[in-house]
Amino acid sequence: MICIEVKELTKQFGPKKVVDGLSFSLPMHTSTALIGPNGAGKTTALSMLAHLMEPTSGQIIMPNVKDMRSAIGFLPQYPQFYSWLTALEYMEMVASLSNLDKRALKSECKKMLAFVGLEDAMNKKTVTFSGGMKQRLGIAQALVHKPKLLLLDEPVSALDPVGRREVMNLLKEVQEQTTILYSTHILNDAEEMTDQLLFLRDGQLVEQGSLQRVKEKFQEPRYKITFSHENEAQQFTEQTALQTQWAKNIVYIEILEDRPTMQQLLYQLAISPYEVLKVERQTASLEEIFMKVAGENATI
Amino acid sequence: MQQFKALFLKEWRESVRSFKLLWIPLVFILLGISDPIMNYFMEDILKAVGNMPEGFMMTLPEFQPADLLMASTGQFQSIGLLVLIAAYIGVFSRERQNGTATLIYVRPVSFTAMYASKWMVASIIAMISAIAGYAGSMYYTALLYGTVDWMKFFAMLGTYCLWLLFVMAVTVAMSAAFNTSIAAAVTIVIISLGLFIDSLFGGFWSVTPWKLANYGIALLTDSVLLKTYWLTVLMVVGLTILSIVLGIVMSRKNMRQLKI
Amino acid sequence: MEALSNIPWGLIAPLLVLQFVLATVAIVDIVRIHETRGPKWVWIIVSLFVNTLGPIAYFLFGRKNQ
Repeated sequence: MICIEVKELTKQFGPKKVVDGLSFSLPMHTSTALIGPNGAGKTTALSMLAHLMEPTSGQIIMPNVKDMRSAIGFLPQYPQFYSWLTALEYMEMVASLSNLDKRALKSECKKMLAFVGLEDAMNKKTVTFSGGMKQRLGIAQALVHKPKLLLLDEPVSALDPVGRREVMNLLKEVQEQTTILYSTHILNDAEEMTDQLLFLRDGQLVEQGSLQRVKEKFQEPRYKITFSHENEAQQFTEQTALQTQWAKNIVYIEILEDRPTMQQLLYQLAISPYEVLKVERQTASLEEIFMKVAGENATI
Repeated sequence: MQQFKALFLKEWRESVRSFKLLWIPLVFILLGISDPIMNYFMEDILKAVGNMPEGFMMTLPEFQPADLLMASTGQFQSIGLLVLIAAYIGVFSRERQNGTATLIYVRPVSFTAMYASKWMVASIIAMISAIAGYAGSMYYTALLYGTVDWMKFFAMLGTYCLWLLFVMAVTVAMSAAFNTSIAAAVTIVIISLGLFIDSLFGGFWSVTPWKLANYGIALLTDSVLLKTYWLTVLMVVGLTILSIVLGIVMSRKNMRQLKI
Repeated sequence: MEALSNIPWGLIAPLLVLQFVLATVAIVDIVRIHETRGPKWVWIIVSLFVNTLGPIAYFLFGRKNQ
C-alpha cells in the first residue's frame, strides 16, 4: 500500500531549480529519512508536500485521500507558537482547524499532550517552553488529527542530546501508527529510525533505497590490520600481493568479491614475522556513505 | 463555522491578554474627555488671570454641545485611528513573518474565516473604544455645556462605528497584502492622509468615505442633507466589502511569503 | 495661587485617575511579560513619567507578541 507518491516534483526560484525532478513513493507505515547537505532542497521538498508551497511542476498523489492537507501532519524545523496561548489552548485551536469532532476535541488534545509528555505543562504559556518542549508540542500538533503522513523537517537537529533522545523515542512510538518522512543531516538519527533513505543533492535524488541496500552498495568492506610498529606495516605492504593502503602502523586491505577471505589473510599474517595487534573487518558508516554520495564539498 | 470560532477565540484572547481591550478604550476616554475639560478651563483661566484692559470684551466662542463632540471626534480621527491602526496592522503580516502562520496554513483552513476573525476582533475593540470615548466626552459635555438629542447622539455613534468597521477592514486587508511596515504606511496614507487631504480640498465634492465621521456629527445639528449622508454610508459599506474581498484574496496569495 | 484654587479639581480628578490607571496597566504588563523589546526598566520609566503617550508607546512598540 502506497501512502504518498511523488512524480517529477520540481521547484524553481528564478533560474535555480531548488528541487529538480524528485520522484519517489512511500509505503504505508514506513519511515523514510531525507538526507542531504544544507541547501540540498530538503525543506523546499517538504514544504511542497505539506502544501505550503506550489510546485513549479510535478505531481503529489495520495491514494484514497480527498483533501491532502487533512491527511498530513507537518512539523517545521523551528515551530513557532502564539505566545499568549497555553499549550492546551493551542492544541484545541489547531484541532478545530483540522475539523476534529467537537465533543472529542478536548480529551483528544489532552491525550496527545500526555503522549508527548506535556501533561504537567499544558496550562502554561508556550513562551516559557524549552526547545525540547516546543518540539514535543510541535509533534503533538502534527499528530492531533491522526494524519496518514507525518512530515518532519530536521526534528532533532536544534536540540541538545537529552531533548534529542526524548524526541527520537517519541517518534519511534509514532512510527507504528503512521507513515513518517523526515529530513535530517544527522546520520546517527537516520540510522536509528529508517526503513528507506533518500539522498538529496542540489535538488536531485542521487540515491535511494532501504538502509540495508544502500549500505551494501556503498559499504566497501575492508580489513583493518593494526601492527605494533610502523616499519612492520610498511614491510608487509611492500611484500604482499594484496591491494593495500598503508597509514602509520595500520594497513587496510580492500575486499573484492569476498577475496581475500579472513582465513587467507590470517594465514598470511601467521607465517609473517610481524607482530599483529588487531585484525578487523569493517564496513563504511552511513556518514562515510553520505560523504561519498554528497560529494567532496558537502558539509554535514 | 468551527474554524471561525477557533480563530476568533485565538484573536480575542490576544486582544484581552495583551491588554488591548483595556488600554485602547482608556486612551479613547482620555481623548474624549480632554476637549470638554480643556475648553472649560480656557474660559476659567482667562477669567482668573483677568488682567484685561478696561472695557475689553471677551469674545470666546460660545460652544454648543455638538462642537465639543466634534472636537473629540477630531481627536479620535487623528490620534485614535493611528493607535488602532498601529495595534492591528500586524494581524496577518506578523504571523507570516515570525512563522506562527506556518502551522495554521498547513491545515485545511479557510482564508475567509481567518480574515473575518481578525477583522471582527479588531472592529469590536475599535467600537468599544469609540463608545467609551464618546461616553466620556458626552458625560463632560452634558455636565459643562448641556446635552444633545439622544436619538441623534446614537445615530452619530452608529455612524462612527461604521467608519471604524471600514478602517479596520482596510487595516486587516493591508496587513494581508503587504509586510508590516509597508502595510502600516499604506493604511496611514489611505486613512489619515486621506482625511487630511479631504479636509483641505473636500469642499469640491460632497460624497467621500473620509467625510462619514463629520456627517455623523452633522446629524446632531441637522446640518447635512440626508441624501448626502446615506450616499456616503453606502459608499463606505461598499468600500468595506471591497476591502474584505481584497484582504481574503491577498492573504491566500501571500501564503508563499511564509517563513518556514 | 488664587487661580489654582479656582480650578475645579473635582472635574479634572477623573482625568488624572484614568492616566494613572493607564500607566498602572502598562507597568503591570511590563513586569509580568516574558520579554520586552528593549530593556524593561526603560519602559517602566517611560510609562511612569511620560503622561498617556508613555504607556501607549510601550503597548505599541515595546510589547513583544508572537
